[in-house]
Amino acid sequence: MTTYLDVRRLHGDALEADTADVALAMDEDAFRAFYDRTSRALWGYLSRTSGDRQVADDLLQECYYRLLKSAVPFESEAHRRNYLYRIATNLVRDTRRGTRPLFADGVEVADLEAPQAHADAAERADVRRAMGRLKPRERALLWLAYAQGSSHSEIADVLGLKTGSIKLLLFRARRKLAALLAPKVSS
Amino acid sequence: MKTPTRVQPTDAEIEAIVADAIAQEAACAGSEAQPPSSAIVWWRAQMRARQEATQLAEKPITIVHALSIAAGIGLMLSVVGYVAAVMKGSRGWLATVTDLAAAAVPSMPALTSPWVAVTLTAMLVSALIASIAAFVIFSDE
Repeated sequence: MTTYLDVRRLHGDALEADTADVALAMDEDAFRAFYDRTSRALWGYLSRTSGDRQVADDLLQECYYRLLKSAVPFESEAHRRNYLYRIATNLVRDTRRGTRPLFADGVEVADLEAPQAHADAAERADVRRAMGRLKPRERALLWLAYAQGSSHSEIADVLGLKTGSIKLLLFRARRKLAALLAPKVSS
Repeated sequence: MKTPTRVQPTDAEIEAIVADAIAQEAACAGSEAQPPSSAIVWWRAQMRARQEATQLAEKPITIVHALSIAAGIGLMLSVVGYVAAVMKGSRGWLATVTDLAAAAVPSMPALTSPWVAVTLTAMLVSALIASIAAFVIFSDE
């Protein structure tokens, strides 16, 4: 039977943890190397699938924290990376369920107001506007396929879809984005 | 006169255009990204994990505290109720207490009131319970 004193001892042990390392899924060196390899690409995925840079900033830390707290035995670097992207996908989906609108008329407001420093800035804004009009899953599909270079099975793993359906979904997403980029396609 | 027909792009052309657009956007996102350093992210994760571990450990403590307080209040109320019942039934011992109080502090006649005696008794009982509770809580052995 657990007595009150046992509970107090447990409490004391927990307080002692303040001065000791807590158990996380990776050691510091391995984590830092993995983070340095993946953080920029993950930020890009978060910002382009959510449509909000602030959301991407907020979710980046959360993604890695959840990865560190996970008890999943990763078979490889690719497995760990896919798991990280699955966490990111779920977090973006949860964020979207909130009250905050991520896109204003299909494009992030900051993009419209940003100074157009480069010659191709207008074109990029067109791409963003077009991507903003896609469904979140379509954005994620296209980004994983063409920005990350993920295979169909990896995309299926990240998005929780069947591998066999990815080809068709990608085809439709491509068509839709191409239609939204119509002037560019016709030229 | 024959009107020029608009040539539909093939799937391969569409794929090339989409891939190119997204690749450029990815390059742009890569240059925009300013993620915090890995050291900061690691440190924050450590802090948060410790905080969560502490909160998890404190949960049973809070429950035990709440139960102790509830038990203490219940005990005190039952003692007060018992005293009130005894007082209603027989005022003999109360008279003794008030007489003793009057004898001990003759300059304070208000102490001789029966209600003051009841309050004092309740306070004494509470103090006794509190000291026992403090002993149980803070003694490690």
